[in-house]
Amino acid sequence: MTTASAIDIGGPAIARDSLWRTLRGSLKSSEYVWALAFLVPYIAVFFVFVVYPAGYGMWLGSKPSLYLDLLSDPIYQSTIVNTVLFLGIAVNLKMFCALLLSGFFMRPGWWVKGMLMIFVLPWAVPALPEFISIHWMLNGEWGLLNNVFYALFNVDGPSWLNERWLALGSAMYAHIWKNLPFWTIILLAGRMSIPTEIRDAAKVDGATGIRSFLYISFPLLANLYLICTLLSTIFTLGDFNSVTFISGGGPANSTHVLATLGIRDAFDLANPRLGVAAVMSALPVMIPLVIILMRKLKTAEVQL
Amino acid sequence: MAILTRRSVVRGSLGLIAAGTFARPFIANAAATTAEVWFAQGFVPEEDAAFKTMAAAYEKASGNKIDYSLIPFAALRQKAISAITSGVVPDMIELADFQLGPLQAWDDKLTDVSDVVEPVKSQYVQGALPCTYLYNSVTKKRGYCAIPMKIAAVPFHIWKSLVEKGGGKIADLPKTWDAFMDFFKPVQKGLRAAGMRNVYGMGYQLTATGVDPINTFNAWMIAYGGQGLITPDGKLHSDDPHIKEAVIKTIVNLSTAFKDGYVPPGCVNWNDADDNNAFHSKLMVMDFDGTISTEVALYHEKEKYDDILTHGLPLSNEGKELPSQVNLFGPVIPKGAKNVAVAKEFGKYMIQPKVLNEYLKAGLGRWALPIPEIVKSDPFWLKEDPHRTAYTTQSVLAPTMPIYEAYNPAIAQVGAENAFMSAVIAVMKDGAKPEAEADKALKRAETIFAKYPIASS
Repeated sequence: MTTASAIDIGGPAIARDSLWRTLRGSLKSSEYVWALAFLVPYIAVFFVFVVYPAGYGMWLGSKPSLYLDLLSDPIYQSTIVNTVLFLGIAVNLKMFCALLLSGFFMRPGWWVKGMLMIFVLPWAVPALPEFISIHWMLNGEWGLLNNVFYALFNVDGPSWLNERWLALGSAMYAHIWKNLPFWTIILLAGRMSIPTEIRDAAKVDGATGIRSFLYISFPLLANLYLICTLLSTIFTLGDFNSVTFISGGGPANSTHVLATLGIRDAFDLANPRLGVAAVMSALPVMIPLVIILMRKLKTAEVQL
Repeated sequence: MAILTRRSVVRGSLGLIAAGTFARPFIANAAATTAEVWFAQGFVPEEDAAFKTMAAAYEKASGNKIDYSLIPFAALRQKAISAITSGVVPDMIELADFQLGPLQAWDDKLTDVSDVVEPVKSQYVQGALPCTYLYNSVTKKRGYCAIPMKIAAVPFHIWKSLVEKGGGKIADLPKTWDAFMDFFKPVQKGLRAAGMRNVYGMGYQLTATGVDPINTFNAWMIAYGGQGLITPDGKLHSDDPHIKEAVIKTIVNLSTAFKDGYVPPGCVNWNDADDNNAFHSKLMVMDFDGTISTEVALYHEKEKYDDILTHGLPLSNEGKELPSQVNLFGPVIPKGAKNVAVAKEFGKYMIQPKVLNEYLKAGLGRWALPIPEIVKSDPFWLKEDPHRTAYTTQSVLAPTMPIYEAYNPAIAQVGAENAFMSAVIAVMKDGAKPEAEADKALKRAETIFAKYPIASS
């Protein structure tokens, strides 16, 4: 038979007491209860609206067999290629154009401000009517674009939405057209926050035009540009509208990206778990992007 | 103003919890007379008005409440899948496509409604009833899983004025399948010669999404002798040389018409309503599309409405009558529904022959009535309107067969992947060999069917 010493008995009690103190901090007992009462609703909201949906999604897509099904689906394989191309081309082209345009919109003059107002319209107007009108414009038989071709050159234009690469390119174009104004404004704000003294000093030293951009603006904007590109990549990975309303994922399911394939698998194939798995398969790319973004945001605190 | 103290807050909270607990049974009792019902929104306002009138009449007769939502059918499918997956379901859902019901019945997600259907089933089109008599892989039995209300077939829709402008005559429409399709080719040439640049002889969905391309492929395959692809015992007959030949002929016929320029090129990327829109804008002379929604959408534009010819299936190339594939649409009661009794009672009310007849008539007859005796006796169906006459004859009185999904839900997955139409697209767009694509599609079907074994009864 073993007997407990006084130290054995007292040990856990001391540990409990110190844990209790750590949790309570310097709060007195009544203050502690009130603090808890105010905290509980926030925790509940966080669990209901963040933890539960994310956890439920992960649970739905947690069966390894779903990923084997995905890998054996030829549509999934072409979807991965499309997604990589969409992110690589559309995001970078959009951000590069936004960088150049933000320089243009820095120019003085009332007409530049007027153009900026018009330029922002595609972003400000709801996406659905815009994408539907682009879809109609690109219709091979009666769309505006091919009718203009015919009127000007007496030739029929291509069937924009009937060939894989033309259709995917059209969806990328719509994505860039819709989102370019937003990123231009962000980079414009970045440029405007560069102190004028720096530019003036550079001017005195003879750095104007492209030199001013290369040695002053771009180094100061580089961090912002990178953060914007990372953010845009994350947003674009979840962009459902551009592909759905321009190419519809067709022809023959050849222009799907992960976001649209998820919906197709969930509802056209009536297999929500497979749909969730399709979207979840982007996580190995998404998580590193979020980590890099968080690190960059930390460094951004001390840089422009 | 009362001062909030810790005790008063705790006391108040406990009071609320207690009140909620005591009130709960009474709230539940009150709700037991209410059924939450999701129905598909109609193509025309008259369809929705007809449903509302029927629901109001039931409420008045029973004292129960029907808490309904009318939802566009694509959104309804998404809502239905989400609800059934999460287990938070309404008491009744109308399944507006022909894949979801067989798949959910297989997974034991639907309540058996045999007691609702049995009293009236002898009055229904017998060839169509299997559409709702579905296999449950858990109980290893078939049972009525949907309440049959609307019968739908796929007719041809033809612009009479375009046929004549293109140099053809409606009276000369050939009676057999291939000749019927070929009739529209010189018409297209005539229209082009008359200065209509973008007009096509034929229009049907050669896309890989939705159910329309499945209807197209099946109709052509049946016309070429492939009716027995799946037999009522749920077996796939992909190794039957006649079936394979019918599949190849279908792939060749559909892809050749496309490659020869008799079908709008955009049809490879059409969505559900795109062929209706293209037909309405006179992009093509003929369309092959389910129900007479194409005509009903123009009901209030008399000149256009009268300019359309609704036409049933031609004969086979050998001169034999072809069965139209039909589906019986109707609501299901998902497992987990709270008020099954009210939902069943509402179902029984809706399929009383007289009630159902008035409901479908008020919806302009877009859906045909699946009860032949009433169809023959009520002049609305066969005497008052040429579109309804042709469509009702095709769906109810002429030879019919149920959709393949009724026999085995595996074909629903084959259809959802559009395996056969993908073969057509590969031939017409990538120049693939029809035989190889037919083999590939049939092999894919075999793989899927292996996951859906049906016990022989």
